[in-house]
Amino acid sequence: MTRSARWIVFWLGAGGVGVLIVLALLKMPSFGGLVHPYRELSVPAAIGRSSPNIVSSVNFDQRALDTLGEETILLGSVVGAAALLRPSKDEREQLDQDEGRVLEATKLLGYLLLPVTLIVGADVVTHGHLTPGGGFQGGVVLATAVHLLYVAGSYKMLRRVRPKSWYQVAEAVAAGAFVVLGLVGLLLTGAFLANIFPRGVLGDLFSSGTVFYLNVAVGAEVTSGVVVLLSGFLAQALSVREVR
Amino acid sequence: MSVDPSWLPPLGIAIPLVGACIVLALAKLAPRLVIDVVAMTTTVVSVGAMALLFAATSAGRVVTWVGGWTPRDGTSVGIVLAADQIGAGFALLACVLTACALSYTWRYFDDAEAHVHVLILLFMAGMVGFSLTADLFDLFVFLELMSATAYALTGHKIEEPRSVQGGFTFGVVTSLGAYFTLAGIGILYARTGQLGMPQIGAALDRHGMDALVLAALVLVLTGFLVKAAIVPFHFWLADAHAVAPTPVCVLFSGVMAPLGLYGVLRVSTTVFGGVLPAGSLHGTLLVLGIITAALGATLCLMQRHLKRMLAYSTIAHLGLFLVALATVTASGVAGAVIYVFGHAGVKGALFLMVGVLLARKGNVDEFALYCKGRDERLTKWLLPLGALALAGLPPFGTGLGKALSEESSGLIVLFVLVSAATGGAVLRASLRIHFGLGPRPDDTDVDTTKGEGEEQEGRFPQRLPATMIGAIVALLTGGLLVGLVPMEAIGEGAQRFLDRAGMLAQTLGGAPASAIGSVDVEWTWSGVVLGLLSAALAVGIGFVGVHFGLGRLRAALKTPLHVVHRLHSGHVGDYAAWLVFGMAAVGALFVIT
Repeated sequence: MTRSARWIVFWLGAGGVGVLIVLALLKMPSFGGLVHPYRELSVPAAIGRSSPNIVSSVNFDQRALDTLGEETILLGSVVGAAALLRPSKDEREQLDQDEGRVLEATKLLGYLLLPVTLIVGADVVTHGHLTPGGGFQGGVVLATAVHLLYVAGSYKMLRRVRPKSWYQVAEAVAAGAFVVLGLVGLLLTGAFLANIFPRGVLGDLFSSGTVFYLNVAVGAEVTSGVVVLLSGFLAQALSVREVR
Repeated sequence: MSVDPSWLPPLGIAIPLVGACIVLALAKLAPRLVIDVVAMTTTVVSVGAMALLFAATSAGRVVTWVGGWTPRDGTSVGIVLAADQIGAGFALLACVLTACALSYTWRYFDDAEAHVHVLILLFMAGMVGFSLTADLFDLFVFLELMSATAYALTGHKIEEPRSVQGGFTFGVVTSLGAYFTLAGIGILYARTGQLGMPQIGAALDRHGMDALVLAALVLVLTGFLVKAAIVPFHFWLADAHAVAPTPVCVLFSGVMAPLGLYGVLRVSTTVFGGVLPAGSLHGTLLVLGIITAALGATLCLMQRHLKRMLAYSTIAHLGLFLVALATVTASGVAGAVIYVFGHAGVKGALFLMVGVLLARKGNVDEFALYCKGRDERLTKWLLPLGALALAGLPPFGTGLGKALSEESSGLIVLFVLVSAATGGAVLRASLRIHFGLGPRPDDTDVDTTKGEGEEQEGRFPQRLPATMIGAIVALLTGGLLVGLVPMEAIGEGAQRFLDRAGMLAQTLGGAPASAIGSVDVEWTWSGVVLGLLSAALAVGIGFVGVHFGLGRLRAALKTPLHVVHRLHSGHVGDYAAWLVFGMAAVGALFVIT
């Protein structure tokens, strides 16, 4: 199609869809209404299981199957990206000898922030059931921490501290742990992904039962997944060369 | 050993996930054989679990509340899985086709570590979850799981720019559709505060129909219509099938695209069934189905790239399935489901046979392969047989499904012509390739994609591995068995699928599964005659096509064909524009009809 034909088709459709959506939005419930059927149900359910972070309770307890699916989407995307980013038949990995210079200030800041970021990441993961955060968010922070080595140090250093195949195994084990925890629930109570661990006292680190352990599993999976993903992109950008 | 049936739906999702994780963990450590064995074992166990579930559904819908969040007073915060014979049947179909695809793959991908196995197992988990869930957001999650893994599988041959391009187009168009679905789910949540299909359905019944519900309906259906490749949401399908590894095409055509239709009907009956006038749903789906069938059949006849030919035949058949589903009667749904099952076997076998040609001749172009397949012992006889089965030759399952569908929809001419055209196109190619019939094809048409330059898949110049032959024979036999084995379960399942009140009562109220009638799903004399007629017409189309080419026909239809070909430009912007146009058209159809 020519450019103008494409735009005509698009605007014909967009006009129709736009009218429909505007009409729909006029019928939406207004902000600040008093009717919240799901909130009425989910808040007591979360508090009843010692999980003050309602979002985490919804994600890892009340609707844990969705989170299992989402975590699996992440796993599939990482594996898919790794498959697409693999060196092709006429490409090889070659490391450059000269990697350029890093500013002293960058180095200092990087090495200072590295442990801080690791601790923050671990904190966000392990307190996911208590405070905002959780496995997905904390996992990304942890993976970022690892890559401060590249920013402050060098690509070679990153590759030494980050053996890709280990992270791939860790990714698989962590993703599998979520499913296995679900299957244990099925065996013990007859319900997949049932909350099987002791609920504890509201506000304690080891409370809210399975939510804590699922958060840790997702945190490990996201950390290793993001590391594997970035390693594919970094390799394509820095070390994979076409050979003839 | 007896398993509580309510364990089976979550096991169907969990087993492939565990298998995928084991394969991924072993990827770098274990030899290739171990990877293959683990993946195959996982699939076989899944087939067993889903077969048990299918058997269990004969006693009624199997309802599972994940996490044990069984509703109190008709409300729950949890996710419900609800399997009837249709849902369990689709889950079983997904597992069986995956087993065939993996068997074919046994000696197939050399370079790709275990990535392909992991992706295929995750893809299977997505399809099983999609078939079994009764939660609207969960349905979206599994739709996305199917999509994310499917993009990577499509673009797997990274050396080929066309392959990556096909995966990219597939990704952009399907994601766009999925975002609209998510937006629709958001609107429904704003209105009802619920995410489960029965819960939203019950809440909508209290509110009634208005512009918001219509908008939500159109938005939610968009993602499923894209997956189902219904015109004008269909553009990605042929581009993706042309480049995806052949065993992956089996899964795309056999079960993934039909699952889109399953989603359309599941959502429009369970969620919107109480507020949407039956006539409106019928009219909209019927128009979409007829256009899709006609366009798919026309384009199928015009192809010389064998994988694209089969892809357009899939589009044509998806249109026929939709026409049968549009009746929203148990007989129509049963016919469509049997048609889907039979088609999955036959089309899967055809794709794998084209894969064999590609592996041995390095080419999937009908013209370039002219006379080159005379020495192929396997495909020489099975490819024409598959073509006739595609046209609906009794007693193949495609024939039974077609007979039941045309009877319930009443559109006999459409079913006969479309199925004959798709079978005839494949037969024409086979006669040229294997028997060297007709003059050497000489076509200078610039519009059609040639099938040369596809990357050769695998290396089997001498003998085909038994695993490949086994997969082809199993699929073709499966397509035959669907038409021979009594299928009362599907007739009953179709009744249950449409029994909205019973589903709401069983999921939300905890009512026991009610007894339900069945519809006849047997061969009739008129069905057999019409199936034979389609097959005869396909033979006619095949021989005429071989001897006269399409020269004269094409000359007469030059301008319209040129326009249609140009529309399938491969430009992702075109596809997105048509997607938005299609949404407006679907909305308008719902209002008009």
